[in-house]
Amino acid sequence: MNYSETLIDHFRNPRNAGMMRDPDGIGEETFDGCGDLARFYLKVVDGRVADVRFQTYGCGPTIAASSAGTELATGRSVSDLLTLSERDVAAAVDGLPAERLHAAQVVAGAIRAAARDFLSRRSAPSGMKQHV
Amino acid sequence: MNGRVYLDHNASTQVHPEVVAAMLPYFGERFGNPSSVHSFGREAREGVEIAREQITNFLRVSKDEVVFTSGGTESDNLAIKGVAGARGAGHIITSPIEHHAVLRTCQVLETQGFAVTYLPVDGDGLVNPDDVRRAIRPDTILITIMHANSEVGTIQPVDTIGAVARERGIPFHVDGVQTFGKVPIDLDGFGIDLLSFSSHKIYGPKGVAGLYIRKGTKMVSVQHGGEHERRRRAGTENVPGIVGFGKAAELRAREMEAEATRLTALRNRLWDGISARVADVRLNGHPTRRLPGTLNLCFRHVESESIVLGLDLKGVAVSAGSACTSGNVEPSYVLVAMGVPLDWAMGSVRATLGRLNTDADIDYVLVVLPPLVERIRRLSPAAVS
Repeated sequence: MNYSETLIDHFRNPRNAGMMRDPDGIGEETFDGCGDLARFYLKVVDGRVADVRFQTYGCGPTIAASSAGTELATGRSVSDLLTLSERDVAAAVDGLPAERLHAAQVVAGAIRAAARDFLSRRSAPSGMKQHV
Repeated sequence: MNGRVYLDHNASTQVHPEVVAAMLPYFGERFGNPSSVHSFGREAREGVEIAREQITNFLRVSKDEVVFTSGGTESDNLAIKGVAGARGAGHIITSPIEHHAVLRTCQVLETQGFAVTYLPVDGDGLVNPDDVRRAIRPDTILITIMHANSEVGTIQPVDTIGAVARERGIPFHVDGVQTFGKVPIDLDGFGIDLLSFSSHKIYGPKGVAGLYIRKGTKMVSVQHGGEHERRRRAGTENVPGIVGFGKAAELRAREMEAEATRLTALRNRLWDGISARVADVRLNGHPTRRLPGTLNLCFRHVESESIVLGLDLKGVAVSAGSACTSGNVEPSYVLVAMGVPLDWAMGSVRATLGRLNTDADIDYVLVVLPPLVERIRRLSPAAVS
């Protein structure tokens, strides 16, 4: 399998790996086909992502895409992340082989889920409305 | 250790320099078609027949009992379809951990009305010969059980299974692709009627293999055309490949025994080193009835491909037990049949050693592998934080 240098670099030196204590949002996505799982933690300041962490079980590309995903998310507004696509994530590792596109799918899904979680937490204390 | 460490010898091997040297003339001045009458043809024919002798000497069988094919897959197809075709209908006994060349051939025969029994294997990957005996029906036409499994290396009790087959007069095919030239095969003693064996697993070239067919075994040919290989396998012979295969077999006769001892020791040292340095690791396959150079491991909570990639980046070539195609990772069907739990099976890695591996290679793997597993585990949500 031919992987880009960017992907290999993220796999070798994953950025922002590990758990986050007291995150403002947590999101998870699994890929049933292969059991890959990515979990993202967000720390949010003034509606923007101030810090991100990931934990991932999966093949090399999924680990690399997770690392690249944290860089994509950092500094972005949370509402932006709601529409983060797998294409964005694939581009962040300079592309994925067709058979490994699930790596971007899992990571984009987990980041979107973390963004949704943040928004629903923020709205939940008021007790007035529930975000989906 | 010379830059890269190749630990994937069950996949393929580097062609032995003496084999390359033996092949070269057959690409050049001895290029003829062995079926031609002229001197060019006779020279090529001589190469093929010398190779046949080298192989039949190695197997201790007569020269008309070996057919050259294009690979282990073709040999398996010819053996199974050849016997099935001669009988027209009936029942076949096999195991769920056979190579796909056997399994898928059996599946195709099922669609054509043949019945197939897939016997279970135990936790070490062994077929129970008593299960074979119990599975035999009046219409059983073939028993096909591999000698050793390529993934876990477990060596089947083919001698006992062969005795059962012989007692009932049923042809016994053995896929010996992983054992030919690695461990002794006593065709008469084991009661084997058909044996598939391949060249590129024993430092010969790819694209050539053989099928031993015991005299008197009722077969039809599968590939039709000319009169080659005593009308059992049509098609112009792959002369340089066959010549190389013969040379490779001859070399194995000299090197096999000492190498088996050396590789068993190296493999055990690798396992001892890994199990002392890495937590949550298990050995797959039989602890002792196993191919000399084969070590199959499962690392819990690690996906095998991430280990393969991580090791590849360190210059070490191993293979993953689970294969990911289009984002669909199937745990190894062999490990599943052996009852290995899924959370372990997803992290299976196979290292298979060969003639050029040294102690320094093992030392290097023991330096790079433990921190890699540790690092990947730390990334996982299952990590203890």
